[in-house]
Amino acid sequence: MSHQDQDEFRDESVSLWRIAFAPTVWAFHFLLCYAGGAVWCAKFGAAQGVGFLRISVLGLTVLALALIVWQGWRSARQWEPHDASATDLHRPESRHRFLGHAAFLLSIISGVGVIYVALPALFITSCR
Amino acid sequence: MAGEGVQGPRSDKAILPRRAVCLLPLVLIAGCTGRQSALAPAGEDAAQLKLLLLVMLAGAVVLWLALNGLFYYVTRIRPGAFHIRHANRLIIGAGVIFPTVLIGALLAWGLSIMPGQRAPGDGLVIRVKAEEWWWRVEYWPQGSDAPITSANEIRLPTGSRTELRLTANLYIHSLWIPALGGKMDMIPGRETVLTLHPQAAGTYRGQCAEFCGASHALMAFETVVMEPDAFAEWLRAEAAPAAAPGGAGAALFRDEGCGACHTIRGTDFAGTVGPDLTHLASRVSLGAGIMQVSRDDLKRWIAHTGDIKPEVAMPAYDWLSDADLDHLATYLEGLR
Repeated sequence: MSHQDQDEFRDESVSLWRIAFAPTVWAFHFLLCYAGGAVWCAKFGAAQGVGFLRISVLGLTVLALALIVWQGWRSARQWEPHDASATDLHRPESRHRFLGHAAFLLSIISGVGVIYVALPALFITSCR
Repeated sequence: MAGEGVQGPRSDKAILPRRAVCLLPLVLIAGCTGRQSALAPAGEDAAQLKLLLLVMLAGAVVLWLALNGLFYYVTRIRPGAFHIRHANRLIIGAGVIFPTVLIGALLAWGLSIMPGQRAPGDGLVIRVKAEEWWWRVEYWPQGSDAPITSANEIRLPTGSRTELRLTANLYIHSLWIPALGGKMDMIPGRETVLTLHPQAAGTYRGQCAEFCGASHALMAFETVVMEPDAFAEWLRAEAAPAAAPGGAGAALFRDEGCGACHTIRGTDFAGTVGPDLTHLASRVSLGAGIMQVSRDDLKRWIAHTGDIKPEVAMPAYDWLSDADLDHLATYLEGLR
């Protein structure tokens, strides 16, 4: 790896974190909803119903979506979709924007994933 | 190019198997009916599941047609370059938003009907424990403090919701009566609940739906759905002790140690290792849904148990003479 490549990699490390951010939020939302649901139903569900569980899932979902929207907005700015001047991926600037594009698309799919994961909480009426 | 233009008309030999293959799916249509089909519902829950399947299938067909239609449009009807704006609209509209909304709507609808499948029962509770390749069944009518024990057959009344509380002995099993509803896992040390609301009287086949060992495929049962009055009458009879006949069969049953594993209420036989045999002769099947309660099948079962149902706990009594087997069969046929 040349010095130039190393410099670019260092500069883009934030972009790489940004790509992983939205799917990571999705993963943690999934984990907390399902593990939380299992623990709640095993410990308290029979006596206390699922009201608290549903509100918790709603809160987690709002938080996750807020993080994903924020991430998507930053990625869209990095992407600069309305500027068609830099499409040649050989240039570092173009690669920088491409990473923003990829992170933006991953934010969308993560947002859809979070909504799908949260949907059951809208309908459950008991732990059965 | 070598070989080009030498292809003659295809012979009938080549065409016929293809036509036969095309007809194969017709064979599957047989699965749409019968007493073990989720597509021939006899209960509220199975009807709901059938509707769910049909709507999901329709959704899948719409998606498939739209996607392939679009593919056909851009490759055959209007090939060539799209304006970037049109291409983006097509990809985002038809490729992202449409399927996301359609699948989201189907998911939401599917989730909305799930609580109904677990609705509380109307009073009767049936506890079923999956043993090594048979079913221990207990009826707990509302307000009762002791169960009415039976085995390898489940009877349900029409017009009300019955709660099935499920567990298992050693392995994970799953109880499934396709004509009446969905399946539910049976897990050692845990209790799972399935509620069923049968609507049409009849006999429907149930089957263990989770691979559980050597005789998994031979672990079935009959579900007899009865009108409420007939069910109440049957339950009264089932609660009564056996009208056990005496004679050589009863003596053999005692001498061979059968009572160490099997209970026959109204007698001294009180074993609980194997199925309760109190009203064996009034059941519609033998050996957990795999044989008839007939003299021949009873004799075959006693003499060749392990050959018929591999790894079953009951030993094969293959040393008994034909006359002894006849006596035992007579005794068992009298357990009404």
